[in-house]
Amino acid sequence: MRTADLIELLARDARATPSGVANRRLLAALVAGGLITLAIVVMGLRCQALLAAAQQSWFWMKAAYTGLLTIGGVIMVRRLSMPGARLGAAPLAAALVILAMLALAAGQILSAAPAARMALWLGHTWKVCSPLILLLAVPIYGCLVAAIRRLAPTRLALTGAAAGFAAGALAATLYGLHCPEQAAVFVVTWYTLGIAAATGLGALIGRRLLRW
Amino acid sequence: MLKQDETEERLRRLMIRSLEGDSGAHRELLGVLGRFLRGYFARRIGTGTAEVEDLVQESLLAVHLKRDTYDRSLPFTPWAYALARYKLIDHLRRRHRSTQVPLDDAGDLFAAEDAEEGALRTDLDRLLQRLPDRQRSLIEDVKLQGLSVEEAAKKRGVTAVSARVMLHRSLKWLNQALRDENG
Repeated sequence: MRTADLIELLARDARATPSGVANRRLLAALVAGGLITLAIVVMGLRCQALLAAAQQSWFWMKAAYTGLLTIGGVIMVRRLSMPGARLGAAPLAAALVILAMLALAAGQILSAAPAARMALWLGHTWKVCSPLILLLAVPIYGCLVAAIRRLAPTRLALTGAAAGFAAGALAATLYGLHCPEQAAVFVVTWYTLGIAAATGLGALIGRRLLRW
Repeated sequence: MLKQDETEERLRRLMIRSLEGDSGAHRELLGVLGRFLRGYFARRIGTGTAEVEDLVQESLLAVHLKRDTYDRSLPFTPWAYALARYKLIDHLRRRHRSTQVPLDDAGDLFAAEDAEEGALRTDLDRLLQRLPDRQRSLIEDVKLQGLSVEEAAKKRGVTAVSARVMLHRSLKWLNQALRDENG
């Protein structure tokens, strides 16, 4: 088939195309993956007493940290799913959020009695926190990858990293419904480590999975 | 106005009309893009290489099938360039060659047009033979006899909507088959 004939054929298939397709597909993927992860948190891990927790500032500190990272990650995913779009300020914004959290954690550590510092840092659950966040990120990552493949990512490893980051951050947000840890230094270490692992693995797997 | 800005303006306008469903604009856009793509791929993998025309066709199919990822508020040529460069990298990777393709700006793609169609390694007509009869005959009506989708639908006794869906699905299938074949 000559290229001219192919173009003729494609022209016959031209139809009005709605805008905002990427946003809808990515949002649907986040909702689907988020619901699966939420179900695992609620049924598998059990929520903490949410009414009591919601009155504590540490609960919202954690939600704000991972929630902001989720937003940053989703913006990066969206941009990387469209050819030629620039990453913009989202990575810098995410880095600033992490820095702010580090500052908060440093303040807490410095104002705590030296003997209590280790307990703040390790909490009661430091061994399971990061691996659980990584596991909870899997369904979200899977849904995101399926949606991104239907768009047109052109930098696959980077896109995979962004998808892993967004999935990890959303998983961490939902994990916050279960996790009773209260210290900023705990969150900035173990939560961030889980998200970082999801980012790294996301890049590694995304390089292959995202080909289209 | 610089030549590149002119190209940007012209193609962006065509793309927006194409996204609104204007098939004439779509045809014109793909025609211009095809000539630029041919020049670009020839410069990158060698003039006269049989793969050039295959890559042009693969890219045109990708532009067509992925056009909903173009954000109308952004310039068009960087979108087309990123897509063409991805197609080139994907092609080289599947052939286990070096995938070092310099990251340039869109000017790299829109440097020179080449209207001379080259030889093909993979004939789409041959791939189409693998489609189920109904889909294949619809494509033949549209391509060989130049019928509109509506006319072809009538001839084959299906609704225009299902003929449109069938055509679109066939093109998606063709895109995948072409990629597998060249891989």
